[in-house]
Amino acid sequence: MAGARTARVGPRASPFMIGVRSDAPVEMARFPSEEWTKLYAEKLNANKSYEDAGKNWEGAITFVVQKDSALDKDAFIYLDLYHGKCRDAKFSLTESDLPTPEYKYAGPYGNWRKLINKEIDPIQGLLTGKFKLQGSMMKIMRFTKAAKEMVNTTASVQTEF
Amino acid sequence: MWFFRSPQVVFGDEALSYLSSLPIRRAAIITDRYLLGTELPERVRGALPEGAESLAVGDVSAEPPLSEMTAHLEKVRGFSPDWFVAAGGGSSIDTAKILFALYERPDLTVYDITPLVQLGLRTKSRLIAVPTTSGTGSECTWAAVLSEENEKRKHELASPEILPDYAILDPSLVVSLPPEQTRNTAADAVAHAVEAYGSTWHNPFSDAMAEKALELISENIEGVMRDPGGLGPRGQVHIGASMAGLSFSNSQIGLVHALGHSLGATFKLPHGKAVGLLLPYVVDFNYDACPERYDRLNLLIPPKYRGRRLSDSLRSLLGMMGVARSVRDAGVEESAYASSMDTLVTLASESTGMVTNPKDSGSEDLRNIFIKAFDGD
Ligand SMILES: [Fe+2]
Repeated sequence: MAGARTARVGPRASPFMIGVRSDAPVEMARFPSEEWTKLYAEKLNANKSYEDAGKNWEGAITFVVQKDSALDKDAFIYLDLYHGKCRDAKFSLTESDLPTPEYKYAGPYGNWRKLINKEIDPIQGLLTGKFKLQGSMMKIMRFTKAAKEMVNTTASVQTEF
Repeated sequence: MWFFRSPQVVFGDEALSYLSSLPIRRAAIITDRYLLGTELPERVRGALPEGAESLAVGDVSAEPPLSEMTAHLEKVRGFSPDWFVAAGGGSSIDTAKILFALYERPDLTVYDITPLVQLGLRTKSRLIAVPTTSGTGSECTWAAVLSEENEKRKHELASPEILPDYAILDPSLVVSLPPEQTRNTAADAVAHAVEAYGSTWHNPFSDAMAEKALELISENIEGVMRDPGGLGPRGQVHIGASMAGLSFSNSQIGLVHALGHSLGATFKLPHGKAVGLLLPYVVDFNYDACPERYDRLNLLIPPKYRGRRLSDSLRSLLGMMGVARSVRDAGVEESAYASSMDTLVTLASESTGMVTNPKDSGSEDLRNIFIKAFDGD
C-alpha cells in the first residue's frame, strides 16, 4: 500500500527486548506503524472482554494520530470492526489510501502516547478536548464499554515510541 | 484536567421567591401531569417578576417518551420563552433540559445531546430547575433520561450545556411528596452518592459532595418517613439529594444505573425503585475493587443502620425506608423476568455506567447480578 511504513523492530536495544529469545516472535512495535496495527488487531481479536462488549457493533473506525513536535507526519490506523472482531486492519500515512470509516478518533501523537500508557481515559480525553470523535453519537454512546476495551487492548501491545 | 460543574444553587426557606429577582419576561413553566391540579403552577407563576408572561407545559408524563417532546416543542416555539422554569420531579426537569436544547437549536435532534457535541445554547433563553422531589438530582446534573417506548430503552443524554443555570431548593415544595415517591427518590439519591464515590472518574469535588449527601440523607430520611410534613428533615434530604446529583454529574454513575435503567425500562418500574433495590447487590459485586472507599462511606451511615460492610448498612437503611429487597419483592413475575434476561443484559451493557463502574464487568457478570437480585439474599 502506498504510504505504508514499517516499524523499526530490529535488534535495537530496548527494555522490551530483555529476556526475549532470538528465535521468539518479536511482539514489539513502534507506534504508529504497520507492525503496531497488525499486532493491535491480533490482540483485539484475542480480547474476550472486547468481543463481549462489541458483539453488536458493526462499523469501521480510523485512529488518526496527528503530527506534533514528536511526530512529523499524520498517521492513520483503519480498523474494520464487526460483531466483536476486527475483520481488517490497515495502516497508512495517507488517509485517502484507506477506506472511509464510520468513525474517526483523532488526537495528537503526544496524547496517543498518554492514552496507550493509560495516563488518559479515552472518554475523559474526548470530554477535555484531548481527542476528537467524528461520527454518529447516538450509536457510539451505546458502545462505550467496547471503546474502553479497545483502549485497554493498546496496553497489551508492547509499544515502542 | 477535569471539571466541577454546578448551577447556582438557591436553597432554604422561601427559596422560590428568588425567581422574582431574575430578569424573566416570558417563562415556559414545565411541570408534571400529576402536579397540574395542585397549587404548584400557581405558586411558580406568583413568584415570577411582575409583568412576566408565562406558558404552562403541564402534561409531562413520568419518564417521558421521545414522542411527547414534539408536541411540547411546538407549544414552546409558539411562545418564544426567554427562561425555562422546570418545576416538578426528574421527568419535568429532564424534559425542560431537552426542550431548552431543541428550542435553542432547532437543527438538532435529541441524540445530539451528548457531551461530545458543542451545542452553543443560551442564545435565546436560560434554564431554572425547581425540584418537587428529593432524589433525581436532575436540577444539578448535566444528564437527562428519555424513554424510547418501542425499544424499551432509556437514552442517557448528557451535555454540560443542559446543566441548569439555577437550582432552587425550596423545602416547602417537597413536604407533601407522597411516601412512595419519597422512598423511591431518596433511594435514587443514595444510589447517586454511592455510585459517584465508587466511580473511576471520582475526584475530590465529587467525593465531598457524595460524602455529605450520604450523611444528610441517611441521618434525616427516617425523620422524613415518620413526619413527612417536617420542614427540617425534608430540607436536609432535599439538599442531600442535590449534592448527590452534583457528585454523580461530576464523576458519573455506574452499574446500579446501568442495570436499573434496563430493569426499569423493561418492567416499567419507577427509576428510584429499580436502582434502590439493585444498589446493595452491585455494592457487593464491586466491593473488592474499592474496599477502602466503600469502608469509608460505610462510616458515614448512622450507627443505628451501620453493618460490617457498606452493603449491609444500605440494606438496613433502605429496608427501613421500605425499599424492595429483591426484584420479586418489586412485583416482577418470575417467568417474565427469565424470558427477558437477554434483553435486560444487553440494555444494561449498553449503558455508559459500564465504563466508570469501579469493577469491570461483562455480560455474564450482569446476568449473575440480575439473577441474584431476583430472590435476594
Ligand atoms: Fe438515578
